[in-house]
Amino acid sequence: MSLTNRNYFEFFSLPKSFQVDADTLEREYKKLQTEYHPDKFADASDSERVQVLQHASLINDAYDTVKSPLKRAAYLLRLENIDPEEHNQSHLQEAFLLKQIELREDLEMLTAKKDLDGLEKMKGSVTSDRNTMLQNFEVCYLASELIEAKSLYNSLQFLFKLVDEIEAAEEKLLDY
Amino acid sequence: MALLSISEPGESKPTVHAIRKRAVGIDLGTTNSLVATADAGKVQTLCDHKGHCLVPSVVHYSNDGTVMVGDKAVEKGSSDSRNSISSVKRLMGRGFNDVDYDLAYEITENADGGMPIIETSAGSKNPVEVSAEILKVLANRGEEELGGELDGAVITVPAYFDESQRQATKDAARLAGIKVLRLLSEPTAAAVAYGLDRKQEETVIIYDLGGGTFDVSLMRLEQGIFRVLATGGDTALGGDDFDRAIINWIISESGLDEKLSYDRRNAITAVARDAKHALSLDEKTEVSFENWSATLTRDTFNNLIDQLVESTIKACRRVMRDARMDISAITDVVMVGGSTRMPRVRERVAEFFQAEVHTEIDPDQVVAVGAALQADVLAGNKYGDEVLLLDVIPLSLGIETMGGLIEKIIPRNTTIPVSRAQQFTTYKDGQTVMSLHVLQGERELISDCRSLAKFELKGIPPMVAGAAIIEVTFQVDADGLMEVQARELSTGVASSVVIKPSYGLEDKDIEKMITDSFTSAAADKDARALQENRVEAERIIEALENALVEDGNELLDDNEIELLNEGITKLREMITKQDADAIRTGAEALNKASLVFAGRRMDSQIKSALKGHTIEEYD
Ligand SMILES: Nc1ncnc2c1ncn2[C@@H]1O[C@H](COP(=O)(O)OP(=O)(O)O)[C@@H](O)[C@H]1O
Ligand SMILES: [Mg+2]
Repeated sequence: MSLTNRNYFEFFSLPKSFQVDADTLEREYKKLQTEYHPDKFADASDSERVQVLQHASLINDAYDTVKSPLKRAAYLLRLENIDPEEHNQSHLQEAFLLKQIELREDLEMLTAKKDLDGLEKMKGSVTSDRNTMLQNFEVCYLASELIEAKSLYNSLQFLFKLVDEIEAAEEKLLDY
Repeated sequence: MALLSISEPGESKPTVHAIRKRAVGIDLGTTNSLVATADAGKVQTLCDHKGHCLVPSVVHYSNDGTVMVGDKAVEKGSSDSRNSISSVKRLMGRGFNDVDYDLAYEITENADGGMPIIETSAGSKNPVEVSAEILKVLANRGEEELGGELDGAVITVPAYFDESQRQATKDAARLAGIKVLRLLSEPTAAAVAYGLDRKQEETVIIYDLGGGTFDVSLMRLEQGIFRVLATGGDTALGGDDFDRAIINWIISESGLDEKLSYDRRNAITAVARDAKHALSLDEKTEVSFENWSATLTRDTFNNLIDQLVESTIKACRRVMRDARMDISAITDVVMVGGSTRMPRVRERVAEFFQAEVHTEIDPDQVVAVGAALQADVLAGNKYGDEVLLLDVIPLSLGIETMGGLIEKIIPRNTTIPVSRAQQFTTYKDGQTVMSLHVLQGERELISDCRSLAKFELKGIPPMVAGAAIIEVTFQVDADGLMEVQARELSTGVASSVVIKPSYGLEDKDIEKMITDSFTSAAADKDARALQENRVEAERIIEALENALVEDGNELLDDNEIELLNEGITKLREMITKQDADAIRTGAEALNKASLVFAGRRMDSQIKSALKGHTIEEYD
């Protein structure tokens, strides 16, 4: 089987969509890994090994992409010939950007106060905003409102990063 | 295939007589190393003739160039610690400046790069060479056991090893002439040893506290696939630090001067280690050093080491967090490494994970056992269901950007193999060269991350600034080793990548070391031949001279004697020279020249024998 001319969803026998059946993804990923892992080719020729290495890398990248909602969103846009990173944040609504600045200030303040509960609460609310936005992305994507979908993707980038930062701040406070 | 396996009841199944591949698993440890081999799931650890299986990872270099490894090197080291290299694994792939702890031997900084060089009285040695000596001994054991040259080996590395450390390990294997089937992470090997692949679904913690490294890994085992979900630990934390805690205790209790000579430090370390081992069994132990002695109780010891144990727990917490997993999800905890024999360690680990900890398999051997099982499979000796081991990259891989910041390209805990492409552009008109600095680590600032290598991309087609787009692909293979490729996108021109590892050896260095070892092996062979030929020539001369004294005047004329004497003088001269071949030819010539003489002597001896016979008979 050649992997090179397929989209990442096809690797895992999944339809090209924002909804992903996690069980199918896991099952098919394991199947592919079993087939293409370099360990299965420990005795093969060098050129074969190079090819297998590329295949296995591609499979891992496909899995990461399909599994992560953010990467999946970007990938779907790319498949529609939209560059998700183009002029990325400049076109976002001012209200959204102001809100982001505000949230970041909150994060700094909670960190300075070593307020773990506050951080946990903040994480809850940002995560829920993020989930709503993911649903909105799917709606736009299905309706082929790709410009709006792209704008949602760029907003989502902010929210995913913010959640990471909140977690990093929590980790620091807990002294992991 | 299916037809082949149909068999009548009572009939044995047809067997395929494939040639068995000779494969071993090697646990190349900081303190101890071990080699094992597996056949159809049965593992044997290989021991020396005294029954010692663990090979202390110590290499001793003598003035005359003799290299000793293992127990013998440890023995030598007690009186000559400067030439006894221990814990060399801690230096693998590291820089001179990383060594911020005491060593019993002297290291200097390599002139062109930060690599630490060990100064022995047999000359300068780099860590890769020293490791290769250990590997050679282990491989030899395997060859003796399996009866021939090895087809390959699985060598284990701590999961936490970064790229340079893995590369250094692989280089050492190459230098030792070993084909590496896979660099396997130690926790994965431990999980394989426990046969956890037989289970359906498990979430396992592998807690490995050895002599110089601590590793904790969270693994998910599902239907024959082992997947490392997250790893953490510390490459500079292990039993040595627990020894040091006792050494410091001795120093402060006894009022010794902290500045100890190499040999006294070695002696005090041995005392500390014995005490530590004793406390794994007993509640207290007597500690004496020189003419001081005192009792160390387990409670006191536990206090001394609490900080160290706690820092391992912290790493466990971090791993759980990285995997976004709750402690209650853990089904098994596997203990690996000699230091997990310490009761305090077992207690704290059990307490933290609220799970029973597995210690059934000897924690010293468990890694080699798993490596052997995997080596058997990878070499192609298939037996039933194979397990697939998916590993992750332990530390994020990134590149230096403007202002000393690092941009992550492959985040840590990404399943390997993996490849990621990144695009760069030129900033000057006509620019044809570009350099990239690759680092590994989690921090934002490059000064907090480990430098892996500098790459120079050459042969970029000259264009105006910003027009050339260079796509750089970072490929990390299943061993965690990195390769870099670069291509200019608009023209499709591939640029060549020149790698300068930060703390490792360049390819050409290794090639040279391999050739050197071949030439020195060849030189050794020549020296032996020279010696053998000299001995043989001297034997011929001596025999001839004796014969001449005994029978020369009787059996040879003056001319003949003169010729033989000339031959002797000539060969004597050759013996003083270094040409082994000339000596051999000279010796053969003299032998030939004396054939007539030898023949006549034989005749005369037979005659005299007959004479004697006759005399006896008629006496
Ligand atoms: N009974 C014991 N109690 C405490 N520590 C022990 C015991 N046996 C071995 N060790 C320690 O285990 C360490 C070596 O463990 P090992 O797993 O062989 O190390 P490595 O994997 O680093 O080579 C040494 O520091 C040694 O002192
Ligand atoms: Mg070990």
